[in-house]
Amino acid sequence: MDDYVVGVLTNIGLFSFLALSAYLLLIAGEMSFGQQAFFGVGAYSGGVLTALYGLPLPIAALAAMLVGALAAFLVGLPTLRLRGLYFAMATLAAAEMARILFELYRFQREIDGELVGPDGTQGFRGIRWIFERGVEPEGYLALVWGLLLIALVFFLLVERSRLGATLRAIGQDPELARSCGISVERFKLGVAAAAGALAALGGVLFAHHNTYIEPRNFDIMLGVHSLAYALIGGLGTAVGPLLGVVLDIGALEGSRVFQGYRMIAFGGLVAVLLIFRPRGLLDEKVVHWLRARFS
Amino acid sequence: MVKSALFLIFCFYACSAFSQKVGAALECTATRTDFIYDCVIRLSKGGEPLAGAQITVGADMPSMPMAHNVKPVKAKPGMKPGEYQAKLDLEMLGEWAVKLRLAGPVKDQLILLYDFDEKGARPVTRAGRPPRK
Repeated sequence: MDDYVVGVLTNIGLFSFLALSAYLLLIAGEMSFGQQAFFGVGAYSGGVLTALYGLPLPIAALAAMLVGALAAFLVGLPTLRLRGLYFAMATLAAAEMARILFELYRFQREIDGELVGPDGTQGFRGIRWIFERGVEPEGYLALVWGLLLIALVFFLLVERSRLGATLRAIGQDPELARSCGISVERFKLGVAAAAGALAALGGVLFAHHNTYIEPRNFDIMLGVHSLAYALIGGLGTAVGPLLGVVLDIGALEGSRVFQGYRMIAFGGLVAVLLIFRPRGLLDEKVVHWLRARFS
Repeated sequence: MVKSALFLIFCFYACSAFSQKVGAALECTATRTDFIYDCVIRLSKGGEPLAGAQITVGADMPSMPMAHNVKPVKAKPGMKPGEYQAKLDLEMLGEWAVKLRLAGPVKDQLILLYDFDEKGARPVTRAGRPPRK
């Protein structure tokens, strides 16, 4: 497969973890502008564990997911008391705090005569676990998409379960859900932690794909993209965020004639789309219609 | 069995050390077409020019990771040993992380941070520290 195609498909896969993470919070009724922080937490913690301590990637990924979940839980404790715009602003503030912490984070060890590890604004080089094991880009692409497929199947199963119905009930009307005996706060904290773990998994994979990360990777732009993907694709099914990523990156790649201005053109398109379809292309109505038609 | 295991462990660490000692520098000049740069890549290993490498050059913007999918290009051997030439087609000015994937005598992946402007590119310096190679 062409290097370019492999690169685009890998990026679509990596972005999808972040989009699914934003989607999970959206269906629970919360709009987070801060999922990039947990992506960063995953990238840094996974990178430290493989590059500095020599742990295998699967173990580092699991540990990074735990760290991401814990970080999201801790951020969720105070912020989930807020609603709507205030929650969005609080998550953005938390993400910026995390990014500044990455800028201050220096933890290096000498490995084979080279200093390896996070070095503040200079970034974190040498996350080479995948590279040193001779995994080719095609192999890594298969790994990313394999994990994404597992996450997607898990999502689809949850959505068809009682848990999925509870989440949507909380998202649609938290007061009504509370009156039915659902512990809304506890559920939302669980959702925030799960979304953090998912974003962290994407972060680990991103760090090992790039071999280099830096605090600027995890700024607001990444968070806005992930949220936009979930909203463009639709909130009716977990396939929506993936559709959003594919459409966005596909549209961007298909509009190369606009060069650097294509981002601006695409931003306008997103705004227009969200005016006419505020819950995305695959919203609940479309999903119900599709299910009725094909089941 | 033990000898084989020790040998594998030795190889693992030897290969790791071997793969991390390639130095690289980039010199780019802007062409007449916006955002397209003619670049010369200089590779060295142990202070000596590294010839015969196959280099695939890609790029990503640190402030917008994964949003730009610059088409990777193969670098051609340049005028001098250890020199390679590549034409980079970036999408905008600013800071780019240029990714060099090496094959041939040395298998490695290097990331070079450069700031691309209307004239060319210069290494990124931050917090008063020298650029890293």
